[in-house]
Amino acid sequence: MQSSHLFLLQTRAVAQRLLLEQWRQKRGLIFWAVFPSTMMLLFGLVYAHNASMRAGLDAAAAGILVGAALFFSCLGGTVAVIAAERERGTLPRLLTTPLHPAAYFLGVVIAQLLLALMQVVMLYSIALLIGAKYQGSIFLGGLILLLSVFSYVGMGFFLGARFARRSEEVVVALSAIGVPLLVLGGTFFPLEIMPQGMQNLAQINPMLHMNQAFKGVAAYGMGLHELRFELAFLVVFCGLSLALGVQSYRHLLGGNKSQ
Amino acid sequence: MTTALHIDDVHKWFGSHHVLDGFSLRVEQGEVVGLLGPNGCGKSTVLKIVCKLLSLDAGEVRLMGQPLSELSYRARGLVGLCTQHCALYPDLLPAENLHFFARLYGLTEKDRQQRVAELMESFELENFANTRVGQLSGGWQQRLHLAVSLIHRPKLLVLDEPTAAVDLEARMDLWRLIEGLRDSGTTILLTSHHLAEAQRLCSRVALMRSGKVLAQGSIPELLDRIPGKAVAKVQSENNKAVIQKALDLGWPVRQHADQIRLLLPCALSLREIVDALDGTQVSAVSVHPVTLEDAYLELVGGSP
Repeated sequence: MQSSHLFLLQTRAVAQRLLLEQWRQKRGLIFWAVFPSTMMLLFGLVYAHNASMRAGLDAAAAGILVGAALFFSCLGGTVAVIAAERERGTLPRLLTTPLHPAAYFLGVVIAQLLLALMQVVMLYSIALLIGAKYQGSIFLGGLILLLSVFSYVGMGFFLGARFARRSEEVVVALSAIGVPLLVLGGTFFPLEIMPQGMQNLAQINPMLHMNQAFKGVAAYGMGLHELRFELAFLVVFCGLSLALGVQSYRHLLGGNKSQ
Repeated sequence: MTTALHIDDVHKWFGSHHVLDGFSLRVEQGEVVGLLGPNGCGKSTVLKIVCKLLSLDAGEVRLMGQPLSELSYRARGLVGLCTQHCALYPDLLPAENLHFFARLYGLTEKDRQQRVAELMESFELENFANTRVGQLSGGWQQRLHLAVSLIHRPKLLVLDEPTAAVDLEARMDLWRLIEGLRDSGTTILLTSHHLAEAQRLCSRVALMRSGKVLAQGSIPELLDRIPGKAVAKVQSENNKAVIQKALDLGWPVRQHADQIRLLLPCALSLREIVDALDGTQVSAVSVHPVTLEDAYLELVGGSP
């Protein structure tokens, strides 16, 4: 079998397995759906209730999708996948197979992308019902979400490989490292009200660029030219994420090798 | 025929701890070789090195004639690993686990379907086809675990204490399956704490202590190295008298903790032994033909 064919077969196997596991974990699936829906509903109703804030509804929908739903689903989900592989002892078994590290990474990305797509549909259905509007190009929005999912999964691999050895540590790792990134990413407060030092620091935070790019398209109808800086940052960060993800998988292997 | 596995003078350190100290072993194709030794003697380390889960510090390992260090990640398909802890996906069905690993090894669609059906049948997993793995008993999980390690038809099957975590009934079932694999010519490297398991399954055994092989050979070869054909285990109020009497009779004596073991030149009846030890205040005697346990005690000392 050719290497490329094997790579694709392995990628598909990993993605299919993760989706099947997610589907079978009914309780997790319910929480996965309830969390962003409730967030959207609560924020949406507050914005819709106050006429002066109504203009912010479109941006809130975009922010909740990128900053809350995808953050917990794609980043948290990836950390949980790595911790579970460790805990169940399947990691050494995977390492005895010819599974290519990049195929594993890509398999996780594809599974998370499909889950993200479902969240987009679910969240925007609620948002549109409340009165929000999607203003820009669907293609550009899709591209930003694709880059965001890639970035989240890469960070998830890093956190999972380095910090979350057990399932219980997933929440701790997410809270300790992920939530500060969310705050600095402008999810809860606009960047403008932050001190200058924080604003400067936020510029290297990928979540800020995800938020700004997706809000730009979805809420303000911005195009490729206006978002070129955010997109360039996300493309570079995606490349770094892929390298980081594969390197983290190798780190898991290395960790095993030096036991 | 190419040697399936050739481990030559391998050393491994964990920090300052010298875990493998010039470990050497050959496994020919079609052989079942058992690696026996006490906890911490380096058995699992050897297996991890063979499976490329650990790197070695010195020495060489050749798998099917090729140096392990030169094999690409794709060559990992040469080995199948089954450990005592069931490393499978609990939310998937047995066949789904098999299909998943078959895809990782690159089996074609047709071959995959055929191989999964074949293993489901030969490991009698069909009755649990619709049961999630997490809901199977430990014995059935381990049975599936063994099937998964064979999905890609490995040249060498590595079993790391495969029956350590299952009950007696499941252990007997797994032994029967491993015997079937042995009889069909599968090359197996196995570690175990159960000497009876090794005696039943292995064509050759290597006895380890402190990271090196102290003795190896077929079971009859190892038994021949014991200076006796049968062993009498004796309890007495006066151990000194028993030992002196046995030595007078020319029977080698071994003492492990409070137990005295007499190596008999031929299989004697209990009556003959009691008569021979007359006057030594013997309170209990049992006699049995020499086993691998006796060979282990004789050649390595201590308990595995």
